[in-house]
Amino acid sequence: MSVTSSSQAATRERVRSWTGQSITRKEDGRLVQGQGSFIDDMGMHGQGYAWFVRSPHAHARIVSIDPASALAMEGVYAVLTGAEAREMCQVPFFQIAPGDGGRIEEWPLAVDTVRYQGDAVAVVLADSRDTARDAAELVEVEYDPLPVVVDGVKAAEPDAPVLHEKAGTNVAWHGTYDFGDIDWALKNADHVVKIDRLHFHRFSSTPLECNGAVVDWDRGTGVVEVKSNLQMPMFAAMVMGPTLGVPINKFSFSSRDIGGAFGNKISFYPQIAALALLSKKAGRPAKWTEYRTEHMLTSTHGNERTFLDIEVPVMADGTILGVKARAYDDVGAYLHYEPLGAVIWSQVVPGCYKFKNVQVDFTTTVTNKCPVSPNRGYSRMQHLWMLERIVDIVAHELGFDPVELRKANYVQPEDYPYQTPNGCVYDSGNLPLSLDMALELADVEVWRRRKLELGTGTGKRIGIGIGSTLDSGTNNFGQARIVNPDLPFSGNGEAAFAKLDLYGEVNINLGTTPQGQSHETTAAQVAADILNMSPDQVTVTTGFDQAHNSFVGFSGTYASQFAVTGLGAVMGAVEKLRDEILEVASFALQAPIDELELGDGACAVRGEPARAIPFIGIANLVYTNNAVLPIELASRVTLNCRHVYVPPFQVPDTEHKTGNLTLTYSSQIHVCVVEVDEETGVVEILAYSAVDDCGKRINPQVVEGQVHGAAGLGIAAALYESFEYDEDGQLQEPSFYEYHAGTARDIPGIRSGSIESPSPFTPNGAKGMGEGGGAPLHAVCSAIQDVLGKNDAIVADSHNPWERVHLLLHSGERGDPRGVRVVSRGTEGAWV
Amino acid sequence: MLLKSVEYVRPDTVPEALDLLRSNVGAAPLAGGQSLTNVLKHRVASVDLLVDISALAELRSITRTAEGVIEIGSCVTYDEIDHSREVRAGHDIVARVAAHIEDQQIRNRGTIGGNCCLSDPTNNLPPLLVALGATMNVRSAGGSRQVAAEDFFKGYFLTALEPGELLTSVTIPPLLSGVGAGYVSVSVAADSKAIVRAAARVEVKGVIGEARVVLARVASVPVRHRGMEDALRGAPPTAESVRAAAATIGNELEPIADSHGSSQYRREMARVVAQRAVLEAIAEGGGK
Repeated sequence: MSVTSSSQAATRERVRSWTGQSITRKEDGRLVQGQGSFIDDMGMHGQGYAWFVRSPHAHARIVSIDPASALAMEGVYAVLTGAEAREMCQVPFFQIAPGDGGRIEEWPLAVDTVRYQGDAVAVVLADSRDTARDAAELVEVEYDPLPVVVDGVKAAEPDAPVLHEKAGTNVAWHGTYDFGDIDWALKNADHVVKIDRLHFHRFSSTPLECNGAVVDWDRGTGVVEVKSNLQMPMFAAMVMGPTLGVPINKFSFSSRDIGGAFGNKISFYPQIAALALLSKKAGRPAKWTEYRTEHMLTSTHGNERTFLDIEVPVMADGTILGVKARAYDDVGAYLHYEPLGAVIWSQVVPGCYKFKNVQVDFTTTVTNKCPVSPNRGYSRMQHLWMLERIVDIVAHELGFDPVELRKANYVQPEDYPYQTPNGCVYDSGNLPLSLDMALELADVEVWRRRKLELGTGTGKRIGIGIGSTLDSGTNNFGQARIVNPDLPFSGNGEAAFAKLDLYGEVNINLGTTPQGQSHETTAAQVAADILNMSPDQVTVTTGFDQAHNSFVGFSGTYASQFAVTGLGAVMGAVEKLRDEILEVASFALQAPIDELELGDGACAVRGEPARAIPFIGIANLVYTNNAVLPIELASRVTLNCRHVYVPPFQVPDTEHKTGNLTLTYSSQIHVCVVEVDEETGVVEILAYSAVDDCGKRINPQVVEGQVHGAAGLGIAAALYESFEYDEDGQLQEPSFYEYHAGTARDIPGIRSGSIESPSPFTPNGAKGMGEGGGAPLHAVCSAIQDVLGKNDAIVADSHNPWERVHLLLHSGERGDPRGVRVVSRGTEGAWV
Repeated sequence: MLLKSVEYVRPDTVPEALDLLRSNVGAAPLAGGQSLTNVLKHRVASVDLLVDISALAELRSITRTAEGVIEIGSCVTYDEIDHSREVRAGHDIVARVAAHIEDQQIRNRGTIGGNCCLSDPTNNLPPLLVALGATMNVRSAGGSRQVAAEDFFKGYFLTALEPGELLTSVTIPPLLSGVGAGYVSVSVAADSKAIVRAAARVEVKGVIGEARVVLARVASVPVRHRGMEDALRGAPPTAESVRAAAATIGNELEPIADSHGSSQYRREMARVVAQRAVLEAIAEGGGK
């Protein structure tokens, strides 16, 4: 239940802790009244408007670019081509990949070769967005088309067209993860379930606001100012710096309100770098707001992953011993953040399960498609989906109840902290209880009866599906070294700054870039508890500004970590501030610190309310009246307190690919009940529930909002959203006309519940939970599997549009290959 | 510019509008603008003069005769159709289809005339009007003529309208006792384009009498399926006979393929939606 803002003050006396309350969001007032500051609200004096010239071909040599006609147009300031941009750069963008993949070259604009439909070859600056767009049409580009590869598995074959000549291969990364003893498990299992292929499709969580930036290369100071809606600005700064030859302290990045970002606003640094160069060339700021089709063609897509030759050893009692698979991650034409997807999945090697023997042969390939970038549930979602598919398929093939099979194989409540086969530590949880709650919330008993009553011949079938997932949060960036041991990255952290201002105002400054995660509210809640005041009395400045904010290299809002890293930093900074306040008050009131208490913006001697000093008095003594203080105190206390929260991590073992890769593991269990129409394959969701366990919830309503948001994106991805390319590399869904982004009309009512298993590893018992782990994709596929018969093919794709469901429903009648087989040990020990 | 520079005029009368359309080669009528402005934005058509007909009272009325014939002005919006007592009285299905065009903002602006004159194969009303045997009333500065809905839609974004002609209203014959209509789609999602769609008008007098079965999204325009219509005529109004009639839908259809459905799937679904639309029409007609 939430309380209104006005009643927050009234209830102050009764509330022991603001943490854990669903208080009204501090940011809602301005956001719902249209008073937010989004990227398109930003501008700079004298700015021009940019429009990118983009390739219609998926793969081609650039023969020539002639901007003359565009430049002749009235209102056009400048045109920058790829070759010119390269001349202005020092080095290509930094690559994470080692070896061949590390030789993949990317510059701000394509040079010589375009590698996907929409690859930018030039950028125009003009006096209006429309002039720039018209002029871009006049830039004459001659292309010489090259062969195209759009399949992530075929891209690895020796005869595939190679995208990047300098790499000499499309394999950007390859490695084998081998934990436990999969050969032993396959040999000693009672059954081995073999699945030919599972495919996790390409889609992207759709933000309302596309990408955008206003960039100025100041000729006087050399400062490159970047106002943008990047969600991890300093990552962009670190990638762009060497390329542009700009030191970090000559960048000035800022991000204000962001209209949705699900990882897809981490990696548009090539566009920003091109804008910087365009600004340098034109001598004026360049503003760019992305067009929707441009966003869908070129911004970023999520990782598309194909699993081949999956083998699952299972004992007669249903104990799953492990999994063996080959995985191909199709990351598109360039490596943005990749190949980190090749390791990030290993945060959740066994998913929710206790099996110990896992071997995954992992290959990252480049293809003539839009580059991928982290997308809500990044890389773990693909792997967790595969694990949930195999659990359902094992149940389906061997006749186990999917609920009981899960419960028997889950990590059990008494097992925490639980170490996974690769050294990750699951901090806390209660998966069987979460599953029971989710089943009850979805009224599964009722639907099971309805399913039986429905029977055959009605043309309708009811299916019940489960999605068990983990949302691993607070990365250990040391896992990047598993991909490339030479990388100088490890650990994690976030900075916060707490300050008492001149008249005693409490101010907290964060380096994060919230996009709906309510950082203003939750930071105020934890600060209010430490200072014993109302969250209304705490001002929180969010939105990143390099000039003002305190930050570390990891700062930003991504990867389910704010409740731990961000609030950990806030708590540390506010505790330091509290201690300074108490120290000054102790002098002013002439009382020992342990006899003082804070309340309502003042400090008083316990039991003597008349002996008190308000925060304005403390501020006065430190800022404007410091001769009153002893010189030692006056020169030490600043009322400006910075704290960096650092989680306890070590550098992983890169040889064995083991280590503690994330600090916290939230769980989500979803249950989905569907009705499938046999004649059409149309799937209707009849009931949906989600139970979240993210440890201690700072603000339950904020948590619930994120559970709903992630569920909506996942359901839409499971049924409606897919980016598909034809054999020429043309995207089939470049606009909302073809790409049906889920809307409120499509998403069913979600019954959500929660349990709280506090993390023993975090300052506040909370865990990150924003990504959600893709549970709806697991649950929807599971529900569709549940309506299929013994002879039907298995649900092998994460995207199930009606035709695919229709094919599955009638696959048995046609005798289609099922995509699965079981090899069992006979009673005499022989394999049958 | 996002929209290229274009002249705009808002005439006070229909004759004035017709004059403007006749005397300007690059003129196009603008009604609700829900399609035309997108067409202009994507620069797939060039228009020099927009003749805004949306406020012409003559094009904005709905009339219903004593015999149950309904005439809907071409600038009547979907929302007005949805909330029209005249339409609901005898042509509930027209109101229901109009009510399902997403979303409310579009229903407030989009018009029946625009929906028909764009001739986008995904549009909702054309197959229904063909099934209902509607007549398209067309005027030009030189006179007026009537075109059967069936003959009005000529191809992708192409209609029977000649330059200078304006669709002024649509006349729909009554759905009398024993006559019902049905409309069934398979869509990507709740508020998305249809993958395949059927509309039907079926007369039942003991057995099925006249039946009109129209399929959409299987060709560039709504198509009547004569084979199924013939198979229905004289058949008992049962699920079995309708299923048998739908089985006549076959390889003569060569539907488009896209990422939401292959040609084969659309052909199979055409049978399903045709059968369901006819059964819906039978049920509706029987309820009168």
